[in-house]
Amino acid sequence: MIAAIAFNLSHFQAMTLFALLISIAFGFLSRRRTSERVKYIIWSLFLFLLIGVGIGWAMYPFSR
Amino acid sequence: MSEDTATGTTAAAAEATITPSHHQRNEAAAFAIGVAGWFVPGLGHALQKMWGRALGCFLTVGALVFLGIGMRGNLFSSEGGDAFGMLGYVADLGTGSFYFAARALETQGSDVAHAEGDYGTRFLAAAGVLNLLAALHAYEAARGRKA
Repeated sequence: MIAAIAFNLSHFQAMTLFALLISIAFGFLSRRRTSERVKYIIWSLFLFLLIGVGIGWAMYPFSR
Repeated sequence: MSEDTATGTTAAAAEATITPSHHQRNEAAAFAIGVAGWFVPGLGHALQKMWGRALGCFLTVGALVFLGIGMRGNLFSSEGGDAFGMLGYVADLGTGSFYFAARALETQGSDVAHAEGDYGTRFLAAAGVLNLLAALHAYEAARGRKA
C-alpha cells in the first residue's frame, strides 16, 4: 500500500520551490558548462522571485 | 569516360541513393529518442550520453510531480469534459510514465478548494510542459542541432 504524502507549504514556500525547480531545469537544458549553469540558475531564480513578489505587491490594492 | 570520372560519378550516385535513407533512419532514431524522453523524463538525453541534463530533467520533473501530488493538486483525466480539462490532461500527460505513477500516489484525491491544491495543480502541469520541452530538446539534439 502506498502511504499518503502531504505537504503544507505557504504561498512563498510553494513559489520558491516552483521557481527553484524550473530554474534548475532551464539551467541544465540551456547551458553546457557547470559555471554557466549555476549563474543561469541563480539569475533565473532571482528574477522568478523578484517578478513573483512584484506582481503580488502590484495586486495588493485589488485584493479586498 | 575515364575511370576516375566513372568512379566519381558512381560514388556520387551511391551517395545520392544512400543519403535519403540514412537521413530517414536518423530522423526515425531522433523521433524515438524524443518519445523515450517524453515517456521517461531524462531518458532522451541519457541515450545521447548527456548525463547532467538527463539527471536534471529526471529530478526536476519527478520533484514537481511528487510535490504536486503531495499538495493535492488536480491530476486531470481524459474524462475532463471541457476544453480546459482536456488542456490540463495534455499538460499532465506530458510527464509520460510519471503521470501513471502520480495516479498511483494520488490516494486522497485533489483538494483545489485550498491554495495548496491549486499550487499543486500548477506544479503537475508545469512538470508535464517542462518534460515536453526536454523531450523536444533531446529530439533536436539527436537531429544534430546545436544543443
